Amino acid sequence: MDKQGRGLAETVWTRLDRKAGAITELTIRQLRHRLSTWVVLAVGTLLLMSLLAMFIAGVRGGWEPIDNDGDSHDWDQDGYPAGQEFKYGSDPYDGFSFPGSGFFVQEGSFEWGSVGLYSGNHTWRYATGIFTYTWLDDSQIGGEEIIEVGSLKSCPEGELFEDFWIDWGDGCRMDVNRIAVHEASFVGNGTFRVQEGFYAEWGHFEDTFYVEPEPASNYIDEDDIDWTGDPNGINGFDDDGDCLRIGWPEDTEPDFWWGWDARHQPDRNGNGIPCDVAWISDSSGNIIQINPDDNVDEDPSEESLAYEDAHRAFIIGTGKIAFVMILGIFLPLFLSLGLVRDETENGTLHYLLSKPIHRGEFITYRILGYLIISGGFVLIMSLLMGLVTASLGPGDSIFRLNDMILWFGIAFATILALAAYGAIFNTLGLLSSRYGVYIALVIGVYEFVMAVLTLGGATLIPVLSVSHWTLQLIDSIVLIVWPNTIEMHLIATAFDLPSGIRAFWNPPVHTLGTDNPFISGLISVVVLLLITTMMILFGQAQFKRREIM
Amino acid sequence: MSTKATPAVLLEKCSKWYGQVIGINDISLAIDGGVTGILGPNGAGKSTLFKLLMGRLKPSSGNVRLFGVDPWVSTSPYRRVGYVAETEKLYDWMTGHDFVSTLARLHGMTREEASERASHVLDFVGLGDVENKEIGKYSKGMRQRIKIAHALVHDPDLIILDEPLHGCDPIARTSIMSVIRDLGSQGKTVLVSSHILDEIERITEQIVILHNGRLLALGNLHAIRDLLDKHPHRILIRTENPRKLAEYFVTEDPVYGVRFAGEEALEVLTNDLSAAHNVLPRVIVDSGLKVTSIENPDDNLEALLRYLVGGAS
Repeated sequence: MDKQGRGLAETVWTRLDRKAGAITELTIRQLRHRLSTWVVLAVGTLLLMSLLAMFIAGVRGGWEPIDNDGDSHDWDQDGYPAGQEFKYGSDPYDGFSFPGSGFFVQEGSFEWGSVGLYSGNHTWRYATGIFTYTWLDDSQIGGEEIIEVGSLKSCPEGELFEDFWIDWGDGCRMDVNRIAVHEASFVGNGTFRVQEGFYAEWGHFEDTFYVEPEPASNYIDEDDIDWTGDPNGINGFDDDGDCLRIGWPEDTEPDFWWGWDARHQPDRNGNGIPCDVAWISDSSGNIIQINPDDNVDEDPSEESLAYEDAHRAFIIGTGKIAFVMILGIFLPLFLSLGLVRDETENGTLHYLLSKPIHRGEFITYRILGYLIISGGFVLIMSLLMGLVTASLGPGDSIFRLNDMILWFGIAFATILALAAYGAIFNTLGLLSSRYGVYIALVIGVYEFVMAVLTLGGATLIPVLSVSHWTLQLIDSIVLIVWPNTIEMHLIATAFDLPSGIRAFWNPPVHTLGTDNPFISGLISVVVLLLITTMMILFGQAQFKRREIM
Repeated sequence: MSTKATPAVLLEKCSKWYGQVIGINDISLAIDGGVTGILGPNGAGKSTLFKLLMGRLKPSSGNVRLFGVDPWVSTSPYRRVGYVAETEKLYDWMTGHDFVSTLARLHGMTREEASERASHVLDFVGLGDVENKEIGKYSKGMRQRIKIAHALVHDPDLIILDEPLHGCDPIARTSIMSVIRDLGSQGKTVLVSSHILDEIERITEQIVILHNGRLLALGNLHAIRDLLDKHPHRILIRTENPRKLAEYFVTEDPVYGVRFAGEEALEVLTNDLSAAHNVLPRVIVDSGLKVTSIENPDDNLEALLRYLVGGAS
């Protein structure tokens, strides 16, 4: 047999290696010569590039400070931000009630269901009916039930509530000096005729004084998270004073039922210290729970948390959805289903199988070739994504090396999924060249659904899917690369901050009770490799027994 | 080379059924050395036989051995076997050299060895000058030859060619035949299948005739031909004046009759085809008539089979 004069160094292994190289190379070249390969890779690239473009646009657009507790907003449009209204005890949802507006003194009202007229110069409230006036204050603007006199539309022809209807808190103009209103408030001098079956009251405001409106920016990022890093120390500080309420005007407890102040508890977490945040850690010092008192650290600066949160969420979300759920399922559907099936159908298999190569080996090398193409693509894409996010991400460092590591982790997890799906789909193609593709599509949809369930936090049902273990592997790698992700997750939950991490990341669950991300990562890798191996072995067993016509 | 104890190809009471359909039926056969033609009409079981030998199919009963090894179980005999399949599909995007060297690497050759051997066999089959052209641009004959080249790349001891002349033009046919004869003269065992008697006759004398999955005849083609020649045969001669030519023929000994087949054709009936062919040139020269063609309508596989099957019954 030594006709080619092969040296003594030649062993079974080196020859095996050459065969493997030849089949793998052939597979790669075949895939390269198929249009569908380029189409699916181009679509994948397009998807990732558009995500990257979104990311870059987001970075270039900068980060608007976020008003996490919503108190910078002037809900009733009376010129005062909600935070300032809370401080003065006025109703942030009532345009008549604002700092210095004084108290409404009711002088009279129509009884419910009665019919009648009342004249005078008053502040009219919750009024439904028709007002004929000599003077109407047009300085009041907005608010939920304050009618905007300047922009009233003409009423349709006919009778109120018979021929036409007005929205709650709104009104319309019937004539030059006559308006129809429904549960609305306004100030004016004239005669009010209440609508039968409805209500109106009138009166005036007392003890009014002028308060300078504060700028909304005073109530954005006004109460940052004050975490000393020591769970036993006193943490949390009421920077804006809306928990401690020292020096706030007396009697600021409003009587309206929806005001959150009404239920204000300075020691909600019950640790005996008012207006603090309890950070609870386990024996090894990891934060496991965060319990803030009301209105403490409720509006942290985005610089410290939200930027980082959004950045990580982008990477994790892209990694899970674009890489695992889209590329991970679609690349194998297009590239692996015909690895052996197409050769059988074309008859070109005869050339390959007339060589001293086992059918089982053949399958393995074909899958290897497919993995080099698909995995290589995933690796290049993750490298590209990594370079961009690591360079443009938040933080002091010029290059976020950890981003790069995480992207490689995502690529690694995706490649394991590609191997598992590749082995499954290739075997399906072998089992049934006609129906294999349909079964593969069903499996693809199933895997996608399981991935969505896993993203949603399900831990039991999705165990029977490749995507579940791949996503958990990414969760584990995230925790290994960024150990404080779990803390960010807790912070976002405790302070009810809008968080992408909460949407895309869950602490890994299959840790054998250790909470150790290395264990869950290892288990995921083992499960994925096991699925791949089993499917390859199954495919090999099928193929070995097959008679090839 | 194989020893006498283990012939290159051995079938023992081998049968293959596809459900109710018989592929080959109870064939026992040992072939070693030289070129053997496997003759049979379409559906006779030639491809089934080859697929059994190449481990594509599992025999329904009996044994198949290649160099003493069961090819369904082990791929090891393929190191010594080159197989030219019937399939017409090739990797059209590859160059000829690429195709042959890639497949050569499946024999465990290094890239360099494979490339060198590929060039060598491509020269041997006469594709040396087009080895860097894409296979998609090859003619039918070139495609057949590239298939032969890949089967020869590892210098096998046994070469199996399934209908290698199928669909080739006369020039390609001639060059492929000469390649096959060369291989035989190099002392290799060559199995070549065809359904055209004439093709096989130009390649080899040693034949196996298959019919309906059965082994009908085995041995020297000439011996079989001689048997056939002793039976009634027609020679169809196209000439301007068949009547005049007939006069010259009726007096000849091997000819027992003539028949007019249309305006310008004469059928000469004989019981000894070779003797008739011996006198043919002289008679035509003597007649001084212009002859446009001479055909042997009974000298084909179908006639041979008819004779063999008829003789057996």
